[in-house]
Amino acid sequence: MKWFKSLMAGVSISTLLLATACSGGGGEKADGDNKGSKDKVTIEYWHTYGDQEEKVLVDKIKPLFEKEHPEIELKLTRMPYEGLKQQVIAGVSGDAAPDLMRMDIIWVPEFAEMGALKEVSSMDGFDAVKESVFEGPMATNVFEGKYYGVPVNTNTKVAIYNKAIMDKAGITEAPKTMDEFVAASQKAKDAGAKGAIGIGGSFSWGFLPYFWSLGGELTNEDYTKFDGYLNSPESIKAVEEIAKWQKDKLAAPTLLGGEPGTWDGMKKNEYFMIDDGPWFYSILMNEEGSKFKPLEDTVRGLMPEGKGGSRSVIGGEDLVIFANSKHPEEAWTFAKWMMTTEPQKIMSETGLIPSNKEAANDPEFLKVPFAKEYVEQLKTAMPRTPIPQWSEIEAIINQNFEKVVRGKMSAEDAMNDAAKKADSLLK
Amino acid sequence: MLPVKETNHPEINIEKDPFSVRFKKGLKQWREVFPFLFLGLLGAGVFVIFPLIKGVIMSFQDYNIMPGAESPFVGLENYMRAFEDENFKYAVRNTILNTLVTVPVNWFFGLFFAVLINLHFVKYKITFRTLYYLPIITSWIVVAFLFRYLFADGDSGLINFMLLKAGLVNEPISWLQNQWTAMVVIWLFHIWKTVGWTVVIYLAALQGISKDIYEAAAIDGSDGFKTFRYITIPQLRPITAFVLINLVMGAFNIFPQVYFITNGGPMGQTEVLQSMIYKEAFNNFNFGYSSALSVMMGLTIFLITLAQQKKLGKNTDE
Repeated sequence: MKWFKSLMAGVSISTLLLATACSGGGGEKADGDNKGSKDKVTIEYWHTYGDQEEKVLVDKIKPLFEKEHPEIELKLTRMPYEGLKQQVIAGVSGDAAPDLMRMDIIWVPEFAEMGALKEVSSMDGFDAVKESVFEGPMATNVFEGKYYGVPVNTNTKVAIYNKAIMDKAGITEAPKTMDEFVAASQKAKDAGAKGAIGIGGSFSWGFLPYFWSLGGELTNEDYTKFDGYLNSPESIKAVEEIAKWQKDKLAAPTLLGGEPGTWDGMKKNEYFMIDDGPWFYSILMNEEGSKFKPLEDTVRGLMPEGKGGSRSVIGGEDLVIFANSKHPEEAWTFAKWMMTTEPQKIMSETGLIPSNKEAANDPEFLKVPFAKEYVEQLKTAMPRTPIPQWSEIEAIINQNFEKVVRGKMSAEDAMNDAAKKADSLLK
Repeated sequence: MLPVKETNHPEINIEKDPFSVRFKKGLKQWREVFPFLFLGLLGAGVFVIFPLIKGVIMSFQDYNIMPGAESPFVGLENYMRAFEDENFKYAVRNTILNTLVTVPVNWFFGLFFAVLINLHFVKYKITFRTLYYLPIITSWIVVAFLFRYLFADGDSGLINFMLLKAGLVNEPISWLQNQWTAMVVIWLFHIWKTVGWTVVIYLAALQGISKDIYEAAAIDGSDGFKTFRYITIPQLRPITAFVLINLVMGAFNIFPQVYFITNGGPMGQTEVLQSMIYKEAFNNFNFGYSSALSVMMGLTIFLITLAQQKKLGKNTDE
């Protein structure tokens, strides 16, 4: 029996070591969970709201929801944007995902295909929610004909012009058409602007507004084919035009990742025009001690209208429920409630554009000094292709686009190649 | 025949024992040590061996990470795909280039500074050693961002600012926006971050060489260079083997240098294997493809290390 003793001794030492190593995490949780009120359900909500928005969420939204639904407790976790997708993947595969998440609209089809999200179109009261929101943002939740989320807020980008440079170049108002826009950019350049057209970078979110406005297109209407669209003569021309801006030095260095960034270029009166979302205003207006006054020092306009119209790109976030949520009913209750007019209005105080039609057209919201142009632009803004393969296809398009801008590939070859690769990924 | 107890040489005993006795004895020894090995084996099993095997299996699958989801086997498809992928070509090229450029430089500077610090008239040896080691304990991300700011485009980047002021260039260099300049920044970052390790290892090795040998050489009239060439270098040989193997592995595993500075840009031309593996898995959800790349990379490192060890190890025996 001696060996048994030594075995026990060894095992107990090992387990002791293991236990002390793990006890830090395990101990606390047990107390908290057991003693809370018995019927109250806690739902965990991951969000990526900014500082201002988080304040409203914690101070106003949470108390209001819990007052109306005393049986549910909302646990808020603010997630950093950096590396978020990886964290969500880890959460999903390790069964540690939250109940709800506010995620970038472009991720929804991808996670839906993976099976990570709960389908909400069959949930109670879904149709009413669908009726109440804008069609464009709602469409970003579709995967194979079913809905996997609801659009909690939407946004788009408009053209933002620097007032000081406009004055210097003798431009009095925001250009309306593409021709006026290019002419004005040339003037601004001649007047000493370091960069005239501040495209954020050679990635789809940056160049799509110009590409679409110039007449380019990505896919057919039901997002099943790139060939014949991405490489249509119009698309090739649009890319060629942007490459020409780079060659003529109209495009700001940001197009190829150079400095200063769009915001710095605007603040230092070096860039004539950039495009950005409402956060440009909501963040910079709250920047303490800054000499730059975004409302007074810039002029807003819709994206200049070209062959394709005045097009911008839809951004925003959808509220999704994870497939392995332990409380899908309660999570849906919150998602549904979040889409109603009242909370939508409250969140819009921060400059987030409500996806609820009633809240977006509320006179109170339109009083937000920069809201008008964004709501107007949303009417013609388009979503990036809502397909699960988008991030992979996007990388291909971005890379080929950059090659054209750098003069390493002809627009025709680049778009043909991208369309071929994209279609092979769709299969 | 029962084992004789009076002898102090158990190894002689074992040879005489019949198999059953030896087996029992071995079993007893195992029983005594096993509980203590258990935790280590468990840890290695869970965190090293299982992921290793799982990774190899995944490389043959169209893998879905959802618990309970199906992951069909696709044969060698993931491997074939790599050879048609333009990004893979860049990744392999850049990983190899990084190894070829940084390993010799790292090795040279490591030895050079170690010998320098070890010179008998150099004071504050520990201070120097600490200084050289500092880059290693600093955070990758912090330093990566620092390098990004140092080499920022336009005249606002410190390096560009200094070059312009000194009149060495006429217009700012877009360091990170062009393939080769970006590669230079990545290499510099890699060398800066890892050379301290080489210095510390060599310093320890230098201090371990017996003074007697140097004294004997001095008596025989050997000068500084000859002493270095015929005594220091040969004495350091086993350490050099160790250092080179580790430097090669470190250079192959280059990841934060690229991911945080250029993220593979421009146009995927600075991509390396690790950053590509990471992005394929966690941005594009191609876990199978990503595993296939990892397996190929792992095998390559294994073969290189094996070859190096054999070659360098043999020489030390002679």
